[in-house]
Amino acid sequence: MRSRAWFAPLGAFLVWLLMLGGCVGRPEGEPVTLVFKYARILGSADPLPGLLRAFETAHPGVRVKGEALPWTSDDQHQLYVINLEGRSPGFDVLMLDCIWVPEFARAGWLADLTTHLTPDELAPHFASAVTAGMYNGRVWALPWNMNVGLLYYRTDLLARYGLRPPETYEELIAAVKQIRDGERDPALEGYLWQGKQYEGLVVNVLEAFWANGTRLLGEDGTILPEPARAADALRFLRGLIEARLSPAWTTAADEELSRRAFGDGHAIFLRNWPYAMDLFQAAGSAVRGKVAFASLPGRARGAAGAGSTGGAHLAVSRRSRHPELAVALARHLTSRPAQRAIALGAALSPTRRDLYHDPELVQARPDMPRLDGLMLAGRPRPVTPAYLLVSSTVQPEFSAALVGVKSPERAIADARGRLNYFLEGIR
Amino acid sequence: MKRGARTVADALVLAALVSYAIPFFWQLLTSFKPEAELLRVPPLLPNQLTLAHYRAVVEKSLMPQALANSFGIATLTTLLALALGIPGAYAVARLPLPGKRFLLLAIVASTAFPQIATVSPLYLLMRALDLRDTWSGLVLVHTSFALPLTIWLLAGFIREIPIEAEEAASVDGAGLPGLFRWVVIPLLAPGLAATALLTFLFSWNEFLFAYTFTVSEASRTIPVALALFPGVFEVPWGDIAAASMLASLPPVLIVVGLQRFLVRGLVAGAVKE
Amino acid sequence: MTRREAVNRRRGILLMAPTVLALGTLTVYPGVWVVWLSLQHRHPIFGVSRFAGLDNYTFLAVDSRFSSAAVTTFVFTVTSVALEVVLGVTAALAIHAQQGGRRVALSLLLLAWAMPAVVTAKLFEWLYHPTAGLLNVALGGHALNWLGDPRLALPAVVLADVWRTMPFVAVLCYARLLAIPAELYEAAQVDGAGRLATLVRITLPMLGRILLVAILFRTLDALRAFDLMFVLTGGGPAGTTETITVYAYRALFQTLQLGFGSALGVVVFALVMAVAWAYLRLLRTSTVTA
Repeated sequence: MRSRAWFAPLGAFLVWLLMLGGCVGRPEGEPVTLVFKYARILGSADPLPGLLRAFETAHPGVRVKGEALPWTSDDQHQLYVINLEGRSPGFDVLMLDCIWVPEFARAGWLADLTTHLTPDELAPHFASAVTAGMYNGRVWALPWNMNVGLLYYRTDLLARYGLRPPETYEELIAAVKQIRDGERDPALEGYLWQGKQYEGLVVNVLEAFWANGTRLLGEDGTILPEPARAADALRFLRGLIEARLSPAWTTAADEELSRRAFGDGHAIFLRNWPYAMDLFQAAGSAVRGKVAFASLPGRARGAAGAGSTGGAHLAVSRRSRHPELAVALARHLTSRPAQRAIALGAALSPTRRDLYHDPELVQARPDMPRLDGLMLAGRPRPVTPAYLLVSSTVQPEFSAALVGVKSPERAIADARGRLNYFLEGIR
Repeated sequence: MKRGARTVADALVLAALVSYAIPFFWQLLTSFKPEAELLRVPPLLPNQLTLAHYRAVVEKSLMPQALANSFGIATLTTLLALALGIPGAYAVARLPLPGKRFLLLAIVASTAFPQIATVSPLYLLMRALDLRDTWSGLVLVHTSFALPLTIWLLAGFIREIPIEAEEAASVDGAGLPGLFRWVVIPLLAPGLAATALLTFLFSWNEFLFAYTFTVSEASRTIPVALALFPGVFEVPWGDIAAASMLASLPPVLIVVGLQRFLVRGLVAGAVKE
Repeated sequence: MTRREAVNRRRGILLMAPTVLALGTLTVYPGVWVVWLSLQHRHPIFGVSRFAGLDNYTFLAVDSRFSSAAVTTFVFTVTSVALEVVLGVTAALAIHAQQGGRRVALSLLLLAWAMPAVVTAKLFEWLYHPTAGLLNVALGGHALNWLGDPRLALPAVVLADVWRTMPFVAVLCYARLLAIPAELYEAAQVDGAGRLATLVRITLPMLGRILLVAILFRTLDALRAFDLMFVLTGGGPAGTTETITVYAYRALFQTLQLGFGSALGVVVFALVMAVAWAYLRLLRTSTVTA
């Protein structure tokens, strides 16, 4: 009776919109596209595009698409978790923080790489990096780059007062006091580290635990086996802030904030990762030639200091549509030439030990041989699928203690209680 | 109040409101400031203006795709919400329904549903239906959230329609579709516009579900793209400012351009109170 | 029932059916499912899925992070809504009194409300920047660490939220003011009432009901608030801007604790429903009539 002329076009428009929306899915076909998710590389030049193009040349008909991850480790983890659990395709090769590998392997999101590797293929890498990429005796991720916590210090300031790099925190504190008294510069901070509520905080607190002779998880999996020592370590960190040996903004500081302040010449000591050295030595840096690094100090009553190890691994998604190619890409990016290019072009340290004595690398980065020894002496964070659960549970407690809203004892007690409940839930 | 004093007062009110909008204007200015001058304040005003940030956002970032996604999803949500909401509102406003009081209560209660409460089951549902990273999934979820408010608003507007108009149409022999086509929808036009506008805005601005249900550029919406804006060394404030301006352009244009409808719709609702 | 009534009844069901279906599957069903989830230990990563009874809730009862999040939610809601209402009414009155330029005034005001909360978050993140932020520049030598200081972070977030949502309250009140018949004011003038008396005796009471509606909406929104604090501070320095919703989201999607996170979601759900119910009883006198 009435014309329904507008129904049909409207319906067609809606269908068109829906199809545009990709509910039909992405079409398969030439060329094969591999998606490589990674965090942007810090450093003077980004060697990644060159490496990806080299892979494309070696595999005609294959395109590699590099996609950036969010900036912080916790945001990256959240993105991965939401999407890998959500069974999204579209990830082929993943850059993972080494602490996630057991978790992702346990969840069944990664492809088992063991059968794709030759027997001694992983021998050239640091043993701890190889272990970090394994779970239940199988290899789930290939070591890509390596990190260790270091103590940076101003060589010019220490030399001026005849001091050597501190081996204990007590020495460090004494050095800070002496230098600040001498320099009389109100803008000069003492010891910078990362106290913001994120994964970096857990790293810093763990290093304090180890310096105090205790740990987060015991051998048998006990949570905080020596709570008194752990509380003492927390109190020590809080004390640094209260005594203004570390600035008040330490509780908001991440790697970049602390690195920037030290790089502007406003601090004597800094705890950070190896990448920072490259930036300190860059042209135009205020501290060029005045910075060196040493191993992290211990506490005077005997425990040697240890830096936390870290780094990134490359894994292959179990839902990848092109598993063979993806594994090939991962092996290509962790090969010796690739790691060498990355070490030269960016500020990332390789996991292959022989590269630390490679002539060209040593010339560009004279600290490489020393770094080799420091990497060996580093300690990993607890290697367990539950690490992220543990870390996200203790972060607010540690932060509360650092900010001063909770006593260290209370923070440790609350951390234990909460961890007990959550770990019980996954048993 | 005397004429002159009133004009001064008017000017003061306008000045106060301009100050209120300063955060917006500051971001606008930032988006045109050269990179080198961003962190060097004071002076507040830049030496020169640049389009570099906009170029970076349009050429190198995911914002254009995100804009397309947001636009498509918001449009589809609005259409679907209206398609379901108009009949539903009519039923609520005019027709006897079994269990109507309970239904109304459920609808009103749904407007208060917190997204966080339903996000975990919806996550599992979307995973099972393989609707993650698609427009359809997000459109369905957005519609379900916009629907209660849509129905509530439209029901109010429908009650304004004189019953005689509907009776005349049924005397003319119009069936239900005819009734809608010739009576209800035309007379509903301003209320419809206001409701459509609000629904579009809600879908465009929605973050929690979009963050959870989108993965890649295939479906990532503007708020998610902005929240995940990549930075390398330091936060690229200029680029983020440019991206923010682009993200706000459609909603701001809509709200400011159609504010008359908005206010009129609210006035009608207020009068009815 | 007459034939007419039967026809209407059938029509009603027909017209309502799609809505009921949509809401049923996407809102009601998940609403029930989340309660069921909250009674379990559910960890996809570890392959755990078992009934836990009320364990998650009893844990929440003694969880210090939860009580801190609850306090934060409460403080955020109360201060945010109070400020919005006061500023919103003031703005509405000011614009209503204007002779000219009302459209410009409304447009300026609506700028803040139109954009996504994420944009507002980025906007304020830049405003609060320690060295280059407009606020600290204005404060000159007394720059504050807005987003890093545990005492300042929540006020900073409240400020951003009030800026963003006050226009909603203002426009609602303004629309109501437009609907007040002019005769009332004329009668008051004839009676010799001054401006203040007019304001207190006529304007504010007429605004009363719409204010209750505005407060209801804003309270419910503030209780559920997520976007702003998630993007601006991520829960803030030492969890000082972590509302229950942010805590729930982290539990759900940072560590995939689907059971525990759902319990937190149910708590927010119950809280919002309780507040809504209380307000609706207040408004019972003349709600939308069926």
